[in-house]
Amino acid sequence: MHMSEICNKVKTIQWQHFLFILLIAAVTIGSDGCKTTGKLSKKERKAQIENAKSQLTPIINGTSSKSLEQQQKIVTDIKAKNFKDPQLDEMISQAQEVLKKAFADRDMQKQQKIDSARAELLDMLLNKDNKSADELAKELAVIKALNLGDKEINDLIAKVEQKIAGMRNKPNVPLKNQLENAFQGIADAGKSGNSVQASTLIKSTLGLFSFDDVPVMIIIYREGNSPPDYDKPTTIKRYLNFVMDQKVSRNAVDNYSLDSDGKIKELELIKK
Amino acid sequence: MKKGISIISVICFLAITSSLFAQDKQDNISPGRKQAIDSLALEKVRDLSKYISIIGDKKTQWSEAQRVIERAMELFMENSEIGVSSLSRPDVTNYKIRAYFDRLMQLNYDRVNIDWYKIQYVSDLERQPDGTYVGVITIYQRFQGFDKEKGLIYEDTTKKDITVYVKRKETQIGGRLIGFWDVLLGDIRVKETSK
Repeated sequence: MHMSEICNKVKTIQWQHFLFILLIAAVTIGSDGCKTTGKLSKKERKAQIENAKSQLTPIINGTSSKSLEQQQKIVTDIKAKNFKDPQLDEMISQAQEVLKKAFADRDMQKQQKIDSARAELLDMLLNKDNKSADELAKELAVIKALNLGDKEINDLIAKVEQKIAGMRNKPNVPLKNQLENAFQGIADAGKSGNSVQASTLIKSTLGLFSFDDVPVMIIIYREGNSPPDYDKPTTIKRYLNFVMDQKVSRNAVDNYSLDSDGKIKELELIKK
Repeated sequence: MKKGISIISVICFLAITSSLFAQDKQDNISPGRKQAIDSLALEKVRDLSKYISIIGDKKTQWSEAQRVIERAMELFMENSEIGVSSLSRPDVTNYKIRAYFDRLMQLNYDRVNIDWYKIQYVSDLERQPDGTYVGVITIYQRFQGFDKEKGLIYEDTTKKDITVYVKRKETQIGGRLIGFWDVLLGDIRVKETSK
């Protein structure tokens, strides 16, 4: 065996030993490094507290771009970590206070929007300005876009949609004419002895009214600015039956008032 | 003493004058307004004539006749009566309104025609001390009774007088005070019956 060969062999054996020792050392050091103690180091705790403070600051200042719900989650998460840092605890209290007020403001604003939308929707149902179906639909779209998520508003929206659909389905016949046509139709059906048709017309006409007992007043005489003289007041159901029985429609529509659903709640007729 | 008597006389004079003035003020109904009230009362009589036709019509269903009877009853003052005559007997029988309508429904004919015409005032509405206006409207009633096989088996024409009472009343509707004229029919008396 040459010297050089022996040297090489020795060298090889030492290298393997070295590698083995290095491996053991690495494993030992590595396993020590991964060992969890459950406690943060002072340095880490300090860093996390600073991070929490930096998250709370924009919330307290009201400059956070996050939603109120996201901000609330941040505060809750920080509080749950329970750093027991007096300054941080104070900031958490401040942030909670700010968020409480912000939520209250938001609720109030929403309520104001709901109130305003309700008033607009009721106006749309009454449609005192005689707006077209398209105009009403445009106004309704604005209210729907608010997405208020309120049951009453949603119900009113549905009613306005129904009204608009009704306006589109029907030729734009004024209510006065609809009523007078209905009265004449009932009288004609009564005259021809077609009680089924008369009853059907009565039923459909009652649909224009808030309820069957809506008061009907018939003006028999009006002079200047004096209050008019009336016949004995009746109800719409009785009046429609009266028209059918008498087989004649003697009165024209003089005035009416509508309820929030756009139905007639009071009717004044006048002798033709 | 004389002075005392003259003061009392002045007070009495003022009281009578103011009472007459108040009466005059209430009576002060313009001709147009009076005409509207007259027409309203005539209209109620015409309404009754239609109701009587429906009740007497054999084609009218019982339930429908009952509804119409209720409506017709509302036209009358309580305890009003209606006279019924026949060519076959000289006397006139007066029925309470409800009894008359019930009897009308059950007449022993297969078909009945009842028409009222020449509906007009024989005595204008006059204001009574209690504020009620009272008048008399006369009507002619043509009655025809038919048998399914024999056709027309009875007919007559009766002149009847209807007393009408009109009073101004007030009621609240929708928070408003409404003044209305309440027209009620009183007794209907047979004046004459002919073929």
